[in-house]
Amino acid sequence: MSNVDRVYVGNLNVAARRAREILLGKLKLGDVVDWATTFSLWPVHLMTSCCGAEFAATWSPRFDAEQYGALPWVGPRQTNLIIIEGTVTRKMACALRITYEQMPYPKFVIAMGACALDGGLFYNSYNIVRPWEVVPVDVFIPGCPPPPEAVARAIVELRRKIREKKVASKWLIEGWRPDREPVKPKEDVCSWWRP
Amino acid sequence: MKAEDVKTLVERILEGMIRGVEIRKGYVEVVVDLENVVEAARRLKEAGFDHVKSVTAVDYPKESKIRVTYHVSSYLNEELARVIVGLSVDLPRDNPVMESLTGIWRSAEFQEREVYEFFGVTFRGHPDLRPLLLIPELAEKRVLRKDFVVREESIYEGVPHRYE
Repeated sequence: MSNVDRVYVGNLNVAARRAREILLGKLKLGDVVDWATTFSLWPVHLMTSCCGAEFAATWSPRFDAEQYGALPWVGPRQTNLIIIEGTVTRKMACALRITYEQMPYPKFVIAMGACALDGGLFYNSYNIVRPWEVVPVDVFIPGCPPPPEAVARAIVELRRKIREKKVASKWLIEGWRPDREPVKPKEDVCSWWRP
Repeated sequence: MKAEDVKTLVERILEGMIRGVEIRKGYVEVVVDLENVVEAARRLKEAGFDHVKSVTAVDYPKESKIRVTYHVSSYLNEELARVIVGLSVDLPRDNPVMESLTGIWRSAEFQEREVYEFFGVTFRGHPDLRPLLLIPELAEKRVLRKDFVVREESIYEGVPHRYE
C-alpha cells in the first residue's frame, strides 16, 4: 500500500476505488482494519474541565470534526477513543481508568490542554494527577484551552499514526499495541472507593 | 428592605447573643458565641431565612481560631431575599467542634462536609460526616488550613513563607 497517507478526509471517488481494491483482494485484512479504525474514531465524552467547551465547539457546524469520521458518544463500551478534556482530579482518575478499561480495544487516548500535560494552572495542587500516569496517552494537545482546530489536528495526527504504524491491526494480532509499553498506575487510583 | 433594615431586624431577633455585627453592601455579618449558635440559627429560620447559600470557614493562625460562616438568605420572603446574612462562630483552632446546623437548614449538609474535610471542623449531630470531594488520605491533612504549604512557583521561591 504505497499511497497510505493520501486519504485523510472523506472523498467519494477515493473511497470507491479503495472499496474496489479491497473487493478485488489487493489489500490485506490488516490494512482494512487500520483503514476502518481511522474512519471510526468515536471519542467518549469524558468532560473533566473547561476544555469541554472547546471540545463541543470542535464538533459544532463551524469546525465540523465529524468529517474525520469521529463523533462523541456517551457510553464507553461503544467507543474507542478518550479525549481527556482538562484537569484530572484524584477521584476523577478512578473514573478515567475505569472508563479506559471498559472500552474495547484497539483504543486510544488524547490528552487535551495544559492541565492534562503537566498540571497547567493547578501544577502545585494537592488534588490532581497527571493523566499519563494513569492511562497511555497517544497525542498531547498544548494550549489553555486548545482551539477547536488543534483538537481536529490531533484527531488527524492520531489517524496518521494508526495508519502508518498499523497500530490497530497489530493490536488485534498481538494482543497489545506494538509501539509502546502498557501503563499501569503506580498507586491504586480507586483506593478511596468502597462500594 | 435595605441591609440597614436587615441589620436592625437581626439585632432585634438575636438580642443578647451577638458579639459583633458588620455591614457591607448587601451583606450583614453577625458573630455569635459558640453555645448560642443553634438558638441563633433557629431564630433566624423562624424570621424567614429559609436556606443556606454556603458554609465556609476562615483560618486565623495568629489568633488561633477558625471562623465558620453560614451565609443564609430567603427564597420565599422577597424582602429578605435581597440581603445575605452571614452567621459566624469562632472555634478554637486546636479542637474545632461545633453543633451541626443540618437539623435547622437541610441544605447545609454537603457544605458542612466540605468544611469538615478542608478545615477539620467536626460537626456534632451531622447525619453523614464523611469527606466529600477529597480522598480520605488528603482530607486528614486539612488542606485549606494556612499551615498546609504547597510547592510554589519558581519566581516566588525564596520568599519566606512562615506563620508566627
